[in-house]
Amino acid sequence: MSAFLQTIGKPGRSALLAAPGLLFFFIFFVVPLVSLFLLSLDKPSIGNASVQWMFETRNFERFFGRALYYEAAFRSAGLAALVSAITLLLGYPLAFLIAKTTDPRRNTTLMILVLCAMQLDMVIRLFGLMVLMGDVGVINEFLRWAGLIGEQPLALMYNFTGVVVGLVQFSLPFMVLSLVGVIQGINPSLEEAARSLGARRWQTFWKITVPMSMPGILAGLLLVFAISFSSYVVPTLLGGWKVVVLPIHIFQQVAELGKWQFGAAIAVVMFVISFVVMLIYQRAAARASGGRI
Amino acid sequence: MARSNKSMRREAAVPFILKFLATLALIMLLAPVVVVILAGLNAGDHLTFPPKGLSLRWVIAFFQSDAFLPAYLFSLVLAVITMILSTILGTTIALFLARAEFRGKQMMRAFFMAPLMLPGIVLGLALYLFYLSSGLGLVRTMPGLVIGHVLVTCPYVVGTVNAALVGFDISLEEAARSLGAKPFKTFRSITLPVISPGIVAGSVFSFIVSFGQFDVSLFLTPPDSNPLPIALYSSLRYTFEPTAAAAGIFAIFLVVVSMLITAKLTNLRKLANVNFS
Repeated sequence: MSAFLQTIGKPGRSALLAAPGLLFFFIFFVVPLVSLFLLSLDKPSIGNASVQWMFETRNFERFFGRALYYEAAFRSAGLAALVSAITLLLGYPLAFLIAKTTDPRRNTTLMILVLCAMQLDMVIRLFGLMVLMGDVGVINEFLRWAGLIGEQPLALMYNFTGVVVGLVQFSLPFMVLSLVGVIQGINPSLEEAARSLGARRWQTFWKITVPMSMPGILAGLLLVFAISFSSYVVPTLLGGWKVVVLPIHIFQQVAELGKWQFGAAIAVVMFVISFVVMLIYQRAAARASGGRI
Repeated sequence: MARSNKSMRREAAVPFILKFLATLALIMLLAPVVVVILAGLNAGDHLTFPPKGLSLRWVIAFFQSDAFLPAYLFSLVLAVITMILSTILGTTIALFLARAEFRGKQMMRAFFMAPLMLPGIVLGLALYLFYLSSGLGLVRTMPGLVIGHVLVTCPYVVGTVNAALVGFDISLEEAARSLGAKPFKTFRSITLPVISPGIVAGSVFSFIVSFGQFDVSLFLTPPDSNPLPIALYSSLRYTFEPTAAAAGIFAIFLVVVSMLITAKLTNLRKLANVNFS
């Protein structure tokens, strides 16, 4: 322990300081991911999770050869793209409003609300959404009470719409937080200059504010894509098993069918797609922070 | 006076349609949370419109529940253990990243942030498979679950401590050392005051992220004890129990308190940026 305390204040020995962290990440992050990759290339063997070192590409051939699976990949990606677009449409105005709120207390309150919404367990938020959107849920009961619909309720959940609404709720805070900083970083004198040169409010917004916040928009879109692409709870609870996405396939193959190798292959496909999206995101984010200065 | 005029003008410059969409977004964010609170406090058997009045019957039911109360307490213990481990690991990693000068430092940083970017279910599956085949005895055990949680929360600590170190001249440490300060004293009186808001913010985040973690827990949860999100998920698949909403109220309370603490300690905007880069 005293050796550890010694290193904590000694710049030269910081490698030793990070040794536990490095070791932990190596054993429980690198090794499991490498095993996942190896297993996805292994000979299918039901109920067996150990690597047999008999490599072939059968799992991936199965994935890309069967409509059930590759269509789920397209469904996941399409869903994530749609959610990203809707989230931008709702998230940008909110981020813009927060960025333009100059009163520090109101600004902090709004930020805390967004952060709380983001950090609250998604399953609890889904409970709230399901109470709102069910056939006898608050929204349908309200519409019936107001006489806007008859006995037939609006089908708001256990379908594609439900999953989209759930994912938008899930990812909105991420979009807002990627945008607030970027919009705040735009030099206000640019907007004022445009206004004083006779540009209308909308013109200023479209010609100055939106283009200047493009790095944040791109980063937000990619982030939202990645997180809604990989959600398991939202499609299972709000989709009523009608919206079958890749994470659902992974769980079924592994937990219900014991097909570890094939489950690992689907996970690798997800990993690769998320990784590519995240690489693009990091580049966009780097540009966003460069544009802030 | 001139200043307040200017700020008023700028706030007025938000066009109506944007205000409308922003309000819609806020409602979308907060309505489910409000509904959970109302459902947990309502007097009827389920939340109806118009509501039937308030009562504490579901809160009391939560305290007597043999599903949700143990799950809540289990999540609390899990989150505290995760928080302690993540804070120690994350702080040492961030200090290492700040001090070391080597090629590929950026890649190293990206590596430690990587668990955030990986789909939770993929990470959970990879760990589960690793536990199964390595014979370490971690399959569906508390230590195995803690490891998964530390992996997804550690990046928050690395991020917040790293952010606190931005603009801190690390050579101050060397100056203190060369003036004869002992290593630990250097750390305590030079570095620690700078990074402590980052450490606190990072540990609050790891607590909350662990408390609400679902994806990683899915494959790693011990069979006899469920964390709250898993317990809520299993009940939600079949029915709406107002007792679950009452459990939700206590979780919401934890989140709000944690975010208020972080807001007091750090610049929220800085924190928001740390979160995903």
